[in-house]
Amino acid sequence: MFVKHRFIRERRGLISRLREKGAGDLLKCIQCGSCTSACTVNAVDEEFNPRRMIGLITRFNKLPDQDPWLCATCSLCVERCPQSVNPLSIILALRMIRHEDGNKLPDKVAEMIEQVKKTGFAFPLNQEARDKRMLLGLPEFRISEEGLNEIRKIITEAGF
Amino acid sequence: MSVTLYLGCVIRSLYPEVEKAVKETLNRVSIHFEEPKDASCCAPLGFFSLNRNVWLRLNERNMRLFQSTVVTACDDCFASLSDAFKIVSEKNGIKAPEVKPFEKIMMEKLEERGMVFSFKGLRCAVQHSCHLLRPARGMDDAENPRMVKRILERLGYLPIPYEGELDCCGGLVFEDRMSRVLADRKTRALEESGADCVVVTCSHCMRQLKSVSKLPVLHLAQLSALSLDVKPGEIGVPETLVRRMVKP
Repeated sequence: MFVKHRFIRERRGLISRLREKGAGDLLKCIQCGSCTSACTVNAVDEEFNPRRMIGLITRFNKLPDQDPWLCATCSLCVERCPQSVNPLSIILALRMIRHEDGNKLPDKVAEMIEQVKKTGFAFPLNQEARDKRMLLGLPEFRISEEGLNEIRKIITEAGF
Repeated sequence: MSVTLYLGCVIRSLYPEVEKAVKETLNRVSIHFEEPKDASCCAPLGFFSLNRNVWLRLNERNMRLFQSTVVTACDDCFASLSDAFKIVSEKNGIKAPEVKPFEKIMMEKLEERGMVFSFKGLRCAVQHSCHLLRPARGMDDAENPRMVKRILERLGYLPIPYEGELDCCGGLVFEDRMSRVLADRKTRALEESGADCVVVTCSHCMRQLKSVSKLPVLHLAQLSALSLDVKPGEIGVPETLVRRMVKP
């Protein structure tokens, strides 16, 4: 009885942690595999299996090993899920949990966050584009110092 | 008609020729636009998937800066802004501005004015953006998209069907090996399609496919501007493509 109780509590722990991070209704998942058969990444790498990832969480209370950053966010799983579980939202929540647990972000992602902190934009303007913009008569764009401070505050307050 | 133009980081920083094409097109179909200069990146959860709060707060801030219908030139911006605005407006009980992708406003304008352009015969393979179609946001059929093709037809181009048309290009995969596998798969299909060029409406598709494809990759706005008589050199349309077009 005690074991069963603890099991349920821990399982709820992981699920509520995922829910806080925007994961859809995991417990509605019937393990049908529609997500996996629609999955862009699974079609080229069978190790990446959304159905199995969700099953590990809901049935065994385990964080899946698969790298959630492999997901292409193509959202076919969301469109095809007959239970409206929104598997993509679960994968995105797994990325957030991994980050919270101290796993390194992909370099490109870390770089984009730095850029947003610095300039307000994820992709910086290089000299070639600057020259091209001038040649085409396009205006300069730059966020005001006041605006940048607002943006930086939002990002740093979240711990980045 | 007056709108807020939101071009997004990638187009402004990497593809000024697309920005030029969007602006020339809007001018020529009499859509007045303004660009709030303090608006930030739309922080799509596809790469900003670290903290939903940052995504929501950055876009709550963007929302305050937008006074009219927002027109995006990148479908990832479209998805991020419209999803975030919906949540923010429900939370705060305020009305959010409408968000429309460039292709939607173009379709409306072409239909409203009954505009059809002379046939140019350029064969176009459309790269359908995942984030325009899914999860369905009421813009086009999620499994059988037609909007961009219909626009191309009206503009005088020839959209062609090909194998794996709905496949994702992997432009938002930040794991290098997987990103490359998906890009190669898509490029192979595009190159075997017999198309003269690839047409995109998302700046991540553009970045991804330009890095691997031998075919010219163009934003729909570039072909729109070309039909509206903007000089190809000004909007980055290669001469080789122009030479291939049927003269009216």
